[in-house]
Amino acid sequence: MSSFASLSDFLAMSGYGKYVWPCMLLGFGVVLLNAWLAVRALADARREARRRLEMNP
Amino acid sequence: MATWTWFHRLGSPPHVYAFAQRWAKWFGAAAALSMLVAVYGGLVLAPPDYQQKDAFRIVYVHAPAAWLSLMIYTTMAVSAAVALVWRMKVAHAAAAACAPVGAWFTVVALGTGMLWGKPMWGAYWVWDPRLTSELVLLFLYFGYMGLRAGIEDPVKADKASAVLAVVGVVNVPIIKFSVEWWNSLHQTATVMQLGKPTMDSRMLWPLLLMFLAFALYFIAVLLTRLRAELLRRERNASWVREAVGAA
Repeated sequence: MSSFASLSDFLAMSGYGKYVWPCMLLGFGVVLLNAWLAVRALADARREARRRLEMNP
Repeated sequence: MATWTWFHRLGSPPHVYAFAQRWAKWFGAAAALSMLVAVYGGLVLAPPDYQQKDAFRIVYVHAPAAWLSLMIYTTMAVSAAVALVWRMKVAHAAAAACAPVGAWFTVVALGTGMLWGKPMWGAYWVWDPRLTSELVLLFLYFGYMGLRAGIEDPVKADKASAVLAVVGVVNVPIIKFSVEWWNSLHQTATVMQLGKPTMDSRMLWPLLLMFLAFALYFIAVLLTRLRAELLRRERNASWVREAVGAA
């Protein structure tokens, strides 16, 4: 089913590997980064809200 | 009547917070699953292009990212307009939550476009209408975020940035139709030609699935960021106590 004969063919991307793989890294790196940033923003906001409520019960 | 009830709920921070809490993880899970299948379909199963060979596989990240950069801006501008017209706090929060994500995906669209342009056009960058208008989009996102950060009064920051978001939306159709209005190196739409897609179906399905995955992913990220925005903005509201589980 695969359109590549071997793993090294897959990595070479018919000679365009040096363009294809950085694109994938950038694209899916940003996907992971933004998921993490969103989760962290929520955790920070929750912690801050809880801290305020504990200071002013 | 039912429409108005729905609209009022959309304006209620605790209601929106609870909705986002319930649904973000499902959108996230669906996005992850569809993204994995689309990556496999696009990078492994799809046959190489007859001209571009395997370089065409860049499309699986470039096109969905570029499309998302426009979708996010449109979402941001619509939220900003709703916020201005109906003075809806939740809509201001949603617009603010969109901006950083949109800016990041504009960077991905530009970066992957440059890496694709080098082997195909011979240059990383040309001052082409499509590329230039996408760069303007990045500056609009930066302007929006800069304006928010630069105004201390949150109500004024909301209003000023919302006006910028609404005015800037004029750039979205310019980007979309730039390849038809002017001579452009950039190719015209491949997928969205009604009735006759110009791609082999083995190349097309992973691309369509990747569009879906990116859309689901954006909803999950937006809902999560929206919760954070609402907590910050509503810190003195009584519903926050219950929402963060404080004693």
